[in-house]
Amino acid sequence: MISVSHLTRRYGSQVAVDDVSFEIGKGEVVGFLGPNGAGKSTTLRVLAGFLAPTAGTVAIAGHDVVDDSFEARRCVGYMPESVPLYPEMRVIEYLRFRAELKRVPRARRALWIDDAMNKAGVVAVAHKRIGHLSKGYRQRVGLADAIVARPPIVILDEPTAGLDPNQIREARALVRELGREHTVLLSTHILSEVEACATRVLLIHQGKLLAQGPTEDIRAMRASTAIDVVVHGDADAAKAALEGVPGVATVAPTGVGDVVRLRVRFDKKLADAERASATEKCVATVVASGVGVREVRPVGGSLEEVFASLTGDEHATAGAS
Amino acid sequence: MRSFWPIFKRELFAFFVTPLAWVLIAVFLVVQGMHFFLLVDHFARSPDLSGDETPMSAFFGNTVLLYLVLFVLVPPMTMRLFAEERRSGTVESLMTAPVSSAAVVLAKYAAALTTYVAMWLPTGLYLVILQRTGALDWHTAASAYTGILLVGAGYLSLGLCASALTRSQFLAMVWTALILLVLFILGVGEFVTREGTTMHEVCGYVSVWAHMNDFASGIVDSRRLVFYGTLTVLPLFVATRAVDAWRWS
Repeated sequence: MISVSHLTRRYGSQVAVDDVSFEIGKGEVVGFLGPNGAGKSTTLRVLAGFLAPTAGTVAIAGHDVVDDSFEARRCVGYMPESVPLYPEMRVIEYLRFRAELKRVPRARRALWIDDAMNKAGVVAVAHKRIGHLSKGYRQRVGLADAIVARPPIVILDEPTAGLDPNQIREARALVRELGREHTVLLSTHILSEVEACATRVLLIHQGKLLAQGPTEDIRAMRASTAIDVVVHGDADAAKAALEGVPGVATVAPTGVGDVVRLRVRFDKKLADAERASATEKCVATVVASGVGVREVRPVGGSLEEVFASLTGDEHATAGAS
Repeated sequence: MRSFWPIFKRELFAFFVTPLAWVLIAVFLVVQGMHFFLLVDHFARSPDLSGDETPMSAFFGNTVLLYLVLFVLVPPMTMRLFAEERRSGTVESLMTAPVSSAAVVLAKYAAALTTYVAMWLPTGLYLVILQRTGALDWHTAASAYTGILLVGAGYLSLGLCASALTRSQFLAMVWTALILLVLFILGVGEFVTREGTTMHEVCGYVSVWAHMNDFASGIVDSRRLVFYGTLTVLPLFVATRAVDAWRWS
């Protein structure tokens, strides 16, 4: 449905997207993952027809975004980052305007608008002014707008930015729901978000596509390289014992009093099996040293760590928690 | 061009839902009403005035008040057309819908022009009043209103173009006001330059003062039609190209 080939986009002399190529098939839910400023929004804007590519070609459902921009735009429902809306309009008025603008046939307009409002959960606020809505509701109005013309492709730029945890859960459920009827491409800088919604992930960093693959692969990439051990008793003794275990790189205690959390980082070169046995040894050693173990928990790798492992950039790991 | 209607309707809605439009219309009608009252009062007190001058020709021509009003009204009417959408980001939703740049520009322009016409409509009552008390030449009236429409069409087009070229409403307003001021000053130049010089010719050609005097006395000169036609079409064309160019910036 989406075919991007050697896409480059510059703003003046600054390169925002650098030679990116990927394909997205019908019915996929693809997460576009990268830190802020990686070029996610720029790429999505090109796909949505708001920006033209500096070089390379982009085809939406077979329509080139430059030569056949009009048809390409008809196939896409796009929700821009931070969801700009007209504050003076009521929700229903806005959706009527958007549906007419997107050429929903007059006879079906009311039905499709109702449908979109139901799916996005904005029926309750249909007659409120957009300017009076909360951030969560505005986000939903943006979603309703993206799907109102029933486009085959839905592109969402940071659909959960600025929402509270409840709203984020709802938004993710909604995106999964959309995946049944649309090809969905969403961008985010939160790793767990992609894991929750997408079947495939595109990793972008500093304008370059670093990796792409099924969500499981990305999940494996962030396999834990550290464990938290919560001990009760003499923390210094436990720390000394842990540091003696082969494969352990650093031990960092946090907390005061007699219950202390020790973050144990393993050597990066350790294979999965070696790490597992090192974990077992850690627990055994701490117990043997006479300190009580309250809790042992693997620590998931962060997005920064995944990027660091892909780019070989050790500096990014240093600041990651 | 099918996207013309929804955008046109939304623009009109946006204009009339804010207090700005109503304030502008109210100020406009108060000023014009006083202007009309003073003129009629003046003519009523001086029955020996020559037949060439009528309250109507004096209302539309030979007066600086008309330009002052346009000068104050047009910039705030056009400033938000594009600048506001670019500032708030709604332009992104607008331009990713299946719309053509020309349709967007024309719809916004048509909405501004419709508002302008709506502002002038109540002044038709003045003609009714004049007709009740004396003879009124409807052809001259039609010619005067043609002039009003043409001048407004040109000025609004310039204002829309300025709004498409900047992100800031304030700058759009300042630019529009500056261009209108330059046009006006050039027109005044007709009186200060010597007759026969090129400058005098140029000033006479662009002088809104001279134009409105003609229109107000019933003369529809084809040179004026060409001038205001150009003044309308050219900025609209530039604005369309500017909207196209956003994608490449």
